[in-house]
Amino acid sequence: MANAREIKSRISSVQDTMKITNAMYMISSSKMKKAKKILSDTEPYFYNMQGAIARILRHVPDIQHPFFSVRHLIPQEERKIATIVVTGDKGMAGAYNHNITRMTEEFIASTPGYHKLYVLGMVGRQYFGKKDVDMDGSFHYTVQKPTMHRARLISEEVVRSFLEREVDEVHIIYTQMQNAVVMEPVNMQLLPLKKTNFSPLEVPVGVHQEEIEMFPSTDGVLDIMIPNYLTGVIYGCLVEAYASENNARMTAMQSSTDSAKKMLQDLSIQYNRARQAAITQEITEVCSGAKAQKRKGR
Amino acid sequence: MESTFGLEIYAANRQFFAGRAKSLIIPAEDGQKEFLAHHANMICAIVPGEMRFEDSEGNWLTVAVSSGFVEMINNRAKLFCLTVERPEEIDIRRAEEARDRAEEQLRQKQSIVEYHRSQAALARAMIRLRVSKNI
Repeated sequence: MANAREIKSRISSVQDTMKITNAMYMISSSKMKKAKKILSDTEPYFYNMQGAIARILRHVPDIQHPFFSVRHLIPQEERKIATIVVTGDKGMAGAYNHNITRMTEEFIASTPGYHKLYVLGMVGRQYFGKKDVDMDGSFHYTVQKPTMHRARLISEEVVRSFLEREVDEVHIIYTQMQNAVVMEPVNMQLLPLKKTNFSPLEVPVGVHQEEIEMFPSTDGVLDIMIPNYLTGVIYGCLVEAYASENNARMTAMQSSTDSAKKMLQDLSIQYNRARQAAITQEITEVCSGAKAQKRKGR
Repeated sequence: MESTFGLEIYAANRQFFAGRAKSLIIPAEDGQKEFLAHHANMICAIVPGEMRFEDSEGNWLTVAVSSGFVEMINNRAKLFCLTVERPEEIDIRRAEEARDRAEEQLRQKQSIVEYHRSQAALARAMIRLRVSKNI
């Protein structure tokens, strides 16, 4: 059994670590609350915008717009697929980063074509920097405090490269928060847009459709609407990933605080035993010493 | 009673306005466009600029908007813009700094992308400054 002093220093080191994990737990829980609020603030804009695009598509079904073109002519092996990967800026968040990087690698392995990665967050950048993948080096954005401005820069970049045919598909891989416990990485296709995403139901024949005038033109409206919509989607993804990251960190830190508490309990029992053993030994020594003295005196 | 229409204004980070309105004047590509009650069904693109609307009590409100669009269907208008700001919400100093920065960047040699970006930034800053004079 280790001696009492060793156990004592172990206890104090566990206590120090527990202070850190507990503080991190508190910080991430407040950050997550903030992120959730931002998320709920953006929701009305987002859902109504989706509804508006669906309405346009319903009224102008045979739309020919570059954002909807699937580019059938390019064979699957030659397609250039860009993926925005949203990871965290630091670890200590359980499996959060690992899930994202694993999903990205699976996606690259399973989809033929030429892949390009736009990685957000330090952890992902360092991870993919060591791998043999094409990562856009100029894409230096942090994932802390997602803002509209950053979402706009990102969407400008992907829209530009899509329209200039540098890439044929754009995906985003981020962590979706289904509820406080379940978080799942999701792969979503941003471009080209799928019409079915907006209007899953076929409009029955014979239903009266009101006529809608588009100003300046259908294309002109979509030209403004779709980059805006994408900016909104990317912003939503960033906020959701941020909320999930902090939720993951919160859970991880809570469980490490819990296990630190358990360790402390075990260690304190060990310490008490060691102390007790030391006392018992001392008493035995004193007694036997006294006895020996008595015998000598007689 | 004067005729009104339903107006909902959504900015990316909040719902800016919901209620009845008498008139809505938006900045469009070729000038301004006014929507009154029972306007024909229409979807119209909005360019960054100064937008005004009159609520059912007759108060005019001027706001700065960035690009977006408005749909007017069955006497209900829904307006979507990335940002919608009241004059008193605008940070004048920040807008001035943004204007100076954009002007400085425009004086330098730039790629086409950078040129458009600085021009858009300049336009946003100028609109904010113009709207903020209405306090």
